[in-house]
Amino acid sequence: MTHMTNPLATPDQLYQRRSFSALPTELQDAIFFSTQCVTQAAGVLLHLPQSTTAQANVLLARYWLVEPFMSHDYEFSDISAATLYLTAKLGPTPRSPRDITNVYTYLLSASSPLLRPTAHPLLLNDPKTYYLSPAASQTFQTRLLSAEAHILYTLSFNTHVALPHPLAITYLQALDFLNQPRREPLAKRALAHLNTALLSPQMLYLTNQPNALAVAAVYSAARDVGAKMPECAWWEVFDVDREELGFLVVGMRSVEGWARKMREDVPAMAAGGMITRADIEDEMRRRGLHVGNGHEHGHGRDGVGFDDAEAEMARKMDEKMAQMEEGSG
Amino acid sequence: MASKGSRWANQEEDAALEARLKKEKEEKKRQKAEKPRKLEAERKRQQQQQQAHNTAAAAAPTPPPRPATHNDSDDDAVSEPYRRGQYDDGNDGAHGPPIKRRRISPDRETPPTAPAPAAASAPAGLSDSTGSSKLLRFEGGAFGRCRSVENYDKLNDIEEGAYGWVARAQELATGKVVALKRLKIDPKDRSGLPVTGLREIQILKDCDHCNVVKLQEVVVGDDTTKIDSIFLVLDFVEHDLKSILEDMPEPFLASEVKTLLLQLASGVAYLHANWILHRDLKTSNLLLNNRGQLKIADFGMARYVGDPPPAKLTQLVVTLWYRAPELLLGATRYSHAVDMWSVGCIFGELLTREPLLQGKNEVDELTHIFSLCGIPTDDSWPAFRRLPNARALRLPHSPAAAATSSVIRAKFPLLTAAGVALLNALLALDPDRRPSARDMLDHEYFRQDPKPKQEAMFPTFPSKAGQERRHRRTTPNAPARGQQAVDLGAVDFSGIFSGRDKEERGGGFSLRMV
Repeated sequence: MTHMTNPLATPDQLYQRRSFSALPTELQDAIFFSTQCVTQAAGVLLHLPQSTTAQANVLLARYWLVEPFMSHDYEFSDISAATLYLTAKLGPTPRSPRDITNVYTYLLSASSPLLRPTAHPLLLNDPKTYYLSPAASQTFQTRLLSAEAHILYTLSFNTHVALPHPLAITYLQALDFLNQPRREPLAKRALAHLNTALLSPQMLYLTNQPNALAVAAVYSAARDVGAKMPECAWWEVFDVDREELGFLVVGMRSVEGWARKMREDVPAMAAGGMITRADIEDEMRRRGLHVGNGHEHGHGRDGVGFDDAEAEMARKMDEKMAQMEEGSG
Repeated sequence: MASKGSRWANQEEDAALEARLKKEKEEKKRQKAEKPRKLEAERKRQQQQQQAHNTAAAAAPTPPPRPATHNDSDDDAVSEPYRRGQYDDGNDGAHGPPIKRRRISPDRETPPTAPAPAAASAPAGLSDSTGSSKLLRFEGGAFGRCRSVENYDKLNDIEEGAYGWVARAQELATGKVVALKRLKIDPKDRSGLPVTGLREIQILKDCDHCNVVKLQEVVVGDDTTKIDSIFLVLDFVEHDLKSILEDMPEPFLASEVKTLLLQLASGVAYLHANWILHRDLKTSNLLLNNRGQLKIADFGMARYVGDPPPAKLTQLVVTLWYRAPELLLGATRYSHAVDMWSVGCIFGELLTREPLLQGKNEVDELTHIFSLCGIPTDDSWPAFRRLPNARALRLPHSPAAAATSSVIRAKFPLLTAAGVALLNALLALDPDRRPSARDMLDHEYFRQDPKPKQEAMFPTFPSKAGQERRHRRTTPNAPARGQQAVDLGAVDFSGIFSGRDKEERGGGFSLRMV
């Protein structure tokens, strides 16, 4: 059964992340989204199969759920690089640390079109911007390997990921969709929905098992291409209830709109390129919020996180008030 | 309250939102009021259905009856929350899209988000569709950080060998005794943590079978800023089969051999059913506890394989004495049969207490194999000539019938005919002719008298892990990664059967059978 199931996030983990983080939610989501995007882009440049890259995406999402965003000195892209390196190493298509280093250096350079509008005025196409000296390369690789161990520690060395993609194809077959004339757009669309869901800040891969994701993707895809679905509760055949299906379909389909809006709203994202720690720190200063020194949760262990815990509390209370007013109004 | 709301309702959308919320509230109220009535109707309907069921006594499950217009309402149900989702994203950016299905707050507090819209706005028809059908729920566990090795108290070292350091330890919180195996890490290795170690952890984490050693957790050293000591927390098992075999004055009884072999086969069958190749089965990797349970351990060489097997697997697997002939002949596409060969070697070793095929190097190992199992012919192993190293072998052109047949019967005079048949099948030169582990479980040998001995009736042995140091005989280790595969070169096997005809055949008896 392990090939069909994933470890899922506990309600406590989700609650902790949403409620006790020093970072405002939209910044958390921006970091999450951009690291997922850079992982996908690197997977393409490294010629990794999507199955490998998607597994890296899922591991990365798990990592971000357990480890607060600002708690270590690793750059966000380091975590992405190490996850991808680790996943490729364990799979059938390993990539050398050197290849990973080169690809990430390019993606983070000013020449990279990653997360930038296509006709960006600052987009240089200059090889100098992504040249890395041997010493710098060595430093990057040392960081990569140290991040790898750290990620494994954070996930207690559990690198098991079951992807919904093969299931979706099996379900399409079972529903006899693959004998239809428009089977190709349908199957492609279903896989596209699954790949989009990897980027969702709702972390759909951490809250639902692969069978549910696959059913939701098939459902969405069939609606997109106007394919006729069975006139019964066919999702129950695949052990998905209607509520879960509805939630996932909404979740998958809202990623595009959400991402577009987020890229306009969050200044660090609007500037283009991969989001960095410095971007987040600037943004926090601009908002008058304080980022604790490596202790995002503000445990107050050494007094450093105390200020932001207090600020956070005040913010939470304001929100609660607003909510209560809204509710009673 | 409306007046308070209107203070903010200075824009048209806000007013519209207000109206919409109000309408929804009313709708909810209406549904709530309707609920008891619906439930009543539902109960009646179910009773009727039950009666219908009883009278019809149909074997096939009937789909739950649904309203005639359910298809339309499905579409509405999904697209409605979808619109809502969009709406939330647009206007409530600070929260991101709300998490709807899973509650994000634990029980101690009321959920900060409104009741899940997908549930709230679903038509009442939903309740009967989910209520009456049984859906499987899949459990995959959770994830989180490693614990520290400081949760364990070291009792004594068990083994310091080629594959790392193993110690007996006790968990402080529970008093449970475990084995701690330290993952060998080379800090100079520029490719990070060893992939074999990571594979071993992943495979053991995925396994759950009584004949496979259980990985309880992975713990790390106290300093988590630099992860440089990683320990596998495994079930503590008192013995390994190898040291028992070395020390026992009398060989295992036939009934005991059967029990051990059955347990080994069922463990291997479990691994193979889960697409795992062990690739280093040998007696020192088989553990035996004081309750007679055998557990397969050391997955440092193991990996997942698909069907058909991947084209380029490394041939440098399995300790030499247990290595299948196709690996020695350089096959890179191989499958479960390599493990079955090792099982055959272990079978032989259980009978005699001596490793069956003790080659000094690859060529010598092949010599041992061919002199036991016979020289391969186009008949006994059709694909043999196509293997990379086969061309270099000089085999007798038209070997005598004696040289191509197996001498297993003669070598194990005390084994029953069924036992010989099984051993012969496991040690078939042609990998395609070896039985699968599942086939092996059904073999005649295990049904014949003497019957396999009950595990609980097994004799106990002094535990080596209980600090009884004993002499170690030298055995080859599993091949190291990155080692060069040996090119056998031109080898002459024509001499090894010279004295064959004079050998004694069959016969022999033993008074000690059960």
